[in-house]
Amino acid sequence: MKRVLAVVAALAAAMVVAGCGTGGPESILDKDDLVIGVRPDLPSVGFRKADGTFEGFDVDVARYVAGKLGKDVTFLPVLAAEREKALVGGKADMVVATYTISQDRKAKVLFAGPYHISYQDILTRSTDTIKNVRELKYRRICAIQGSNAAERVVEERKVAARLVPFADYKACLAALKSGQVDAVTTNDVILAGLAMQDGSGLRLSNAQFNEQRSGVGLRKGDVPGCEAVNRAITDMYQDGTAEKLLKRWFGKSGLDLSTVAVPQFEGCS
Amino acid sequence: MTVMVPGRGAVAPAGAAPPPARRSVPGRIRLISGITVASLALLFAALAVGTATARDGLRVIGRDAGPQVVATAGLYLALSDMDARVANALVMGEANARQRQDAIAWYERRRLQANQALLQAFELSGDNPAERRTVESVLAGLGRYERLVGQALLLDERSKHAPGPPPEEVVATYRQATDLMRLVLLPQAYNLTLENGTIVRRTYDDKALMAPVLRGAVVVAGLLALGCLLWLQVFLAGRFRRVFGPALLVATVTTGVSMFFGANVLAQDEAALKEAKVSGFDSVLTLAKARAISSSMQGDQSRYLLDKERADTYEFTFLDKSLSVIYTDVGNLDAYHDKVATGSNNFLGLLAPELVGRQGAEVLGAYRGFQAADKEFRELVRSGRTAEAVAARFGPVATSFDAYDRELVELSNGHQDVFKRAIARGEGALDNLWRLLPFAIAGIGLLVIAGVWPRLKEYR
Repeated sequence: MKRVLAVVAALAAAMVVAGCGTGGPESILDKDDLVIGVRPDLPSVGFRKADGTFEGFDVDVARYVAGKLGKDVTFLPVLAAEREKALVGGKADMVVATYTISQDRKAKVLFAGPYHISYQDILTRSTDTIKNVRELKYRRICAIQGSNAAERVVEERKVAARLVPFADYKACLAALKSGQVDAVTTNDVILAGLAMQDGSGLRLSNAQFNEQRSGVGLRKGDVPGCEAVNRAITDMYQDGTAEKLLKRWFGKSGLDLSTVAVPQFEGCS
Repeated sequence: MTVMVPGRGAVAPAGAAPPPARRSVPGRIRLISGITVASLALLFAALAVGTATARDGLRVIGRDAGPQVVATAGLYLALSDMDARVANALVMGEANARQRQDAIAWYERRRLQANQALLQAFELSGDNPAERRTVESVLAGLGRYERLVGQALLLDERSKHAPGPPPEEVVATYRQATDLMRLVLLPQAYNLTLENGTIVRRTYDDKALMAPVLRGAVVVAGLLALGCLLWLQVFLAGRFRRVFGPALLVATVTTGVSMFFGANVLAQDEAALKEAKVSGFDSVLTLAKARAISSSMQGDQSRYLLDKERADTYEFTFLDKSLSVIYTDVGNLDAYHDKVATGSNNFLGLLAPELVGRQGAEVLGAYRGFQAADKEFRELVRSGRTAEAVAARFGPVATSFDAYDRELVELSNGHQDVFKRAIARGEGALDNLWRLLPFAIAGIGLLVIAGVWPRLKEYR
């Protein structure tokens, strides 16, 4: 009888051990607290306020997703060039920082979402009339360090714009207002945020020429985490939160928000 | 041969163990038989749980989520083609009245298919509330889409324009329709397919984790039951001076066979589920995604032709989708055309892992043909030869796309066969096991009674 009990106990123990040792890469689902990388430098998108807290559309999306997963959040400021390193190096569990999904980047990180489709767009002085990318021909546009948006106009669209290099958007906007350059082109939400912060009536053209899918960056291999984030994003659109957040952050920016719908996901595998 | 030595049974353990262990021989027979029956119950319980888990896995993957992937992929294709056919009809112009009618007839056919696929997706969505909401939302959006298309087609017919882009009011109406389709409806259909991929992945991971544990449990419980049966026989042989109890011997063999057969069937099911998932389902899902994206690429060609103002955007989305299907590191569409035409066979992207073997090479060849036709088509548009561009769009471009799509379907069918066969094999093995298992349970029960009952009767 004791032997029987011993065998049953051993069997039960074996089951427990097998059940726990799932192996595989670590998932964000196994953590209680998530470190989420957000942009500190983009007003209305991801912005660090004077008191050190973060605000913006990306920040609210990050909070919503973490809430749906039942996790606490700590934000980590990441600039454009630091996003991949923060994920791969393990400093951030997740990156929600206007991180455009591309085939190149997919080799290094896993993308959930996109949680928002934005477009490459053009910001000009209010007196200018540039309507689409072709009208950038022979005009001077900012080329911001670490962003390839201006190069894409020349390279992909084959429009002979003249690139003027700047270190950041602040210097670029100053140059735009002083007439040193004619236009800034990048993600429309970034432009909308900059224009609103500036407040001097810069004009967003709504040219919408290149689709930019902003994804949630995760460590490669975390398929369960990616699928859970996708479900959270679906919920965010189905329960009306996405529309509310977009209106809240970009409602007065001139950004076209007539169609708010869940984007086509990239898929986690 | 009734040699009774009741005294000995009681004395021997009394010497070894303290007083409460004192039992009569019938008491011990009952105890050992009880333990034996309990261990047999454990074996069959383990088998029942193991086979139920395996059956659940085969059902979810083979009957629910697997077919749902096909249904939702069909929905995407039908929706995407509806929008492409409308764009086709709108660029035909007055001169191509017959082809215009053709395009509208195709639109109607795809509309019916989309409605059927939606109904099927709704049925298969079961109790997944997010999926149901998505299907309902697509259904509502489709009604709006059809109204807009009706208006656009009517305006187009009245305008009696030459082949090529229709007047601005037609384009503006179509723009509303296509935005609704491309930005609202298609993503939801695509995400439904992905969601079913998620369900399959989760189910598979769960089952792949549990199956070896349950199989181990069956073996352990089986060995335990065999040990108990042997213990019972050794005890009876010792007490009643019999070497064999035929009934118990048969019971032992039957138990051994049940354990072996059961564990074997569970192992087969693990292998079948793995094959269905890895060699079948994963490829079917990938190819469904590739087909969906490719079909909307074809729509982007028509839209590029139709909407001058947005031509740049549609050209870019065409490139973007091309890159996601077959990736190579280029900055614009011209470079992509060149790279695909002349490049090696080493590509990245969604289709890359599927491009193996003869069928894979045929898919890549057909894709090259499609991109080559696209290159020529865009050159015609750029040089302003609109009528020729319209002819090219419905001639070589359409033909090469159909050829490419056919190759994709063929490749997918191969994997779907693997998938269906593996699921059928797994289910067949389970059915066979359960055709025999009830007899084994009843048989072993009767044999144990037949082996023990006469011995107990000797004490009456």
